[in-house]
Amino acid sequence: MSEAVIVQNLIKKYPSLKKPPGFKQWIVSLPKMLSQKSEQPYFTALNNVSFTVKKGECLGIIGKNGAGKSTMLSLLLGTSFPSAGSVAVNGKRTPLLELGAGFHPELTGKENIILNGVLLGLTRGEVEARLDSIVAFSEIERFIEMPVRTYSSGMYLRLAFSVAIHTDPEVLLIDEILAVGDESYQKKSEQALVSLIKRGVTTVFVSHNMEAVKKICNRVITLKNGQIEFEGEPDVAIQNYMHVLGS
Amino acid sequence: MYKLSHAWERKIDLIYLLTLKEVALKYKRTFLGIFWSLLNPLLMTLVYFIAFKVFMRFKVDNYTFFLLSALFPWTWFSSSLIISARSLVDNVSLIKKVVFPRSYLVAAVINAQLVNLIFSIPILLFLAFFYTGGPAWCWVIGIPLLIAIQFLFTLGITLIVSISNTYFRDIEYLVGVFMNLIFWMTPIIYPMSSVPEKYRPLFFLNPLTSLMSAWRELFLHNTLQWKESGIALGMALLTWGIGVAVFRKLERRLDEVL
Repeated sequence: MSEAVIVQNLIKKYPSLKKPPGFKQWIVSLPKMLSQKSEQPYFTALNNVSFTVKKGECLGIIGKNGAGKSTMLSLLLGTSFPSAGSVAVNGKRTPLLELGAGFHPELTGKENIILNGVLLGLTRGEVEARLDSIVAFSEIERFIEMPVRTYSSGMYLRLAFSVAIHTDPEVLLIDEILAVGDESYQKKSEQALVSLIKRGVTTVFVSHNMEAVKKICNRVITLKNGQIEFEGEPDVAIQNYMHVLGS
Repeated sequence: MYKLSHAWERKIDLIYLLTLKEVALKYKRTFLGIFWSLLNPLLMTLVYFIAFKVFMRFKVDNYTFFLLSALFPWTWFSSSLIISARSLVDNVSLIKKVVFPRSYLVAAVINAQLVNLIFSIPILLFLAFFYTGGPAWCWVIGIPLLIAIQFLFTLGITLIVSISNTYFRDIEYLVGVFMNLIFWMTPIIYPMSSVPEKYRPLFFLNPLTSLMSAWRELFLHNTLQWKESGIALGMALLTWGIGVAVFRKLERRLDEVL
């Protein structure tokens, strides 16, 4: 099996009501709802999307804001489910979406490392065994026993990133997070990611940073209004995309 | 020695850590920390003792012991329910960005509240020595058994409540009102014998009636009521089954409603 990700005819709709109907409105519209079956308005975030990612490949997804990139990642991750069609992912999925989503500000750095590591698929023993290298990579040894609410945002991101890359990812789902910390740390985190990808980790990479996409992706999909507009070589995809943006 | 599979070991670790987080966060930035879990029931006991020994005298023997033997387990149930109603709503970022069984968040709340019950058992132990001449060996079997039954029952209810609350935030307000209603409709502060004969069958439709009665008999009379425990277990299994089914069904649209 060489396909790590298979997406077929994927459709994702969200109820497009800005505000769910309150009790008052519900009473008012109840007679109408009973007499005729009302169609709930939907917003289609992804419309009939199909693609595959081979094992060890790095797929870039680019597109304007609201094109459906992040929705795609959440479907791949499994935090949301398709309205129609199918998503299949082989291997352990590791999200690098919103770094530190599982962190709690009142817990210490170390407590957060352990909780997050287990959330990302390790056992407690495994996280404890890797604790030293996680802390070392994040470069916050001095503050590791302090609650993360006292951390700067850079420290917070570095710690979260360090945990994520130490959890044996098989399929990495990345959403615009290469800008971690200061410049020297950015370089370090980028290198760590590239070496993971080189080691055969399958990656889906969502970004607006075209340089990064060009550097690490083998193939690029351009999304527009929830549909695949282009699929192919990174250079060509980026050129087309920039051209559309410019015009 | 039997070695757990990696997946199971991780599941247990995850529930343990989420529980630890609940407990730790509850007492973060307090001076007394976990001692509050002991101090709380202790102070509660003192208050009830004064209230019912001095001001309101009921014609029930050892009323304070009578009351606490059911009130402590009830508190586990009610605080679990009230807190877990928000457990999904309050963990949006975790639910949207990390994949793990969402029901663990609910289970962790119940576990964390269980810590309080366990801390209040020494108080019951003390009262038992004082009033009935000491606990019997059936406590050793009875307490874990009733904890297991109540855990299943509470989990079933809280799964339904927490997932419904993500669709309609009204649920958490309803829970507060209903808890009050159920409290008065369960023999906790009064004995079953004070309920008029014709209403008693109605009371046994309430799963908590047999459960609380089993708790009370265990502590107060050192007897393990197999019949009541059996009824409670049956109802708990049913509730748990329904809870899991409802949760599974509604969980799939969680990302759309949060």
